[in-house]
Amino acid sequence: MKSKFYMVFALVVVCLISAIALSQVFSITQIKIEKQKTEAVLANLNRVLPSAFRFEEVTAVPQALWIGFDQNGKKVGIVFKIAPRGYGGPIETLVGIDTSQKITGIHIASAAEGLKETPGLGLKVRDDWFRNQFIEKTKNDLKLKRDGGAIDAITAATISSRTVTDGIKQGLEMYGKYLKADSIQSQIE
Amino acid sequence: MNNKSSRLSYLTRGIILENPTLILMIGLCPTLATSITAKDGLGMGAAASFVIIGSNLVVSLLRKLIPTSIRIPIFIIIISTFVTIIDYVLQAYQPALYRVLGVFVPLIVVNCIVLGRVEAFAYKHGVFDSFLDGLGKSLGFTLVLGVMGIIREFFGAGTLFGKIATPVWFRQYPMLLMLFPPGAFLLIGIFKALINKFMKQESL
Repeated sequence: MKSKFYMVFALVVVCLISAIALSQVFSITQIKIEKQKTEAVLANLNRVLPSAFRFEEVTAVPQALWIGFDQNGKKVGIVFKIAPRGYGGPIETLVGIDTSQKITGIHIASAAEGLKETPGLGLKVRDDWFRNQFIEKTKNDLKLKRDGGAIDAITAATISSRTVTDGIKQGLEMYGKYLKADSIQSQIE
Repeated sequence: MNNKSSRLSYLTRGIILENPTLILMIGLCPTLATSITAKDGLGMGAAASFVIIGSNLVVSLLRKLIPTSIRIPIFIIIISTFVTIIDYVLQAYQPALYRVLGVFVPLIVVNCIVLGRVEAFAYKHGVFDSFLDGLGKSLGFTLVLGVMGIIREFFGAGTLFGKIATPVWFRQYPMLLMLFPPGAFLLIGIFKALINKFMKQESL
């Protein structure tokens, strides 16, 4: 009974059952997984640009960029993603800017999402006091205080602090044009 | 030993006498890597438990049909099916936990506890006994992960299950070492030493 043929048969049957089971689980969970991912992105977008009611993604740029609209469809600002090189690796940062060129909030990906800064030092870029000091700032303020700007650096983590500050400034220069009132039409449609 | 007490011992052995991590010294990698907080540790324990119990059940059900010469490939297919299921489920319903556990969820496939129990026990025993054995080993594994998670989170971050559990001065200068891999090694070394001290008289 347990011939070579039976071995092939047993293996095929086990694989088949496994494949059927997995495809069932996949089809049930996939919708939920996709929803979780878009919700997570949307929650972060709302955090950095709270005045926006809905977001539209701009695909024609090197890194991610969203344009935020209020309930009446009026443009209120943009959110862009930058990933400047920090002390341990890229620091993925979402930056929200309103139409008056002021920063409305920044969000930095957590260590679990791939941030490789040193705990206790560079990882403090995620602390509220560091992130919140960017709010209401415009392009010319975006320098560390020791470089003549308005941003307090984290003690013993100047590299990480400067990276985030410079990255936001560069992003602002690169994506600032999307803030102009009529730039969206040509970009999205 | 009568039948009933030997059956019960399938369950209890896994918790202390044959504890996978502390006595058998298997499954150490996920134990060290994912016990950073109590919730992560217990989450990893639960995910691995699902796989251990599930594979034990299926293999013991099919044990008479699985040809001996190709049993290992078949075990691996069964185990990886369960791992993929728990991977999808965690992604869908526990995304925060999934982000923390990351690569260690798919790596349950190569966790020696799972293949070890299937090969050493479930392939030779009935469905109910295999279920008890899987449950016992799962409890032992989860217990160690949970306790390590609680200790590392308490001393390393000053919280318990994400809630603040210590005064401010404690949290300002926590034992960061506890959150790093060396802290996990030290802790498991201490556990092992304690086990050795108190179990010397027993037959090991």
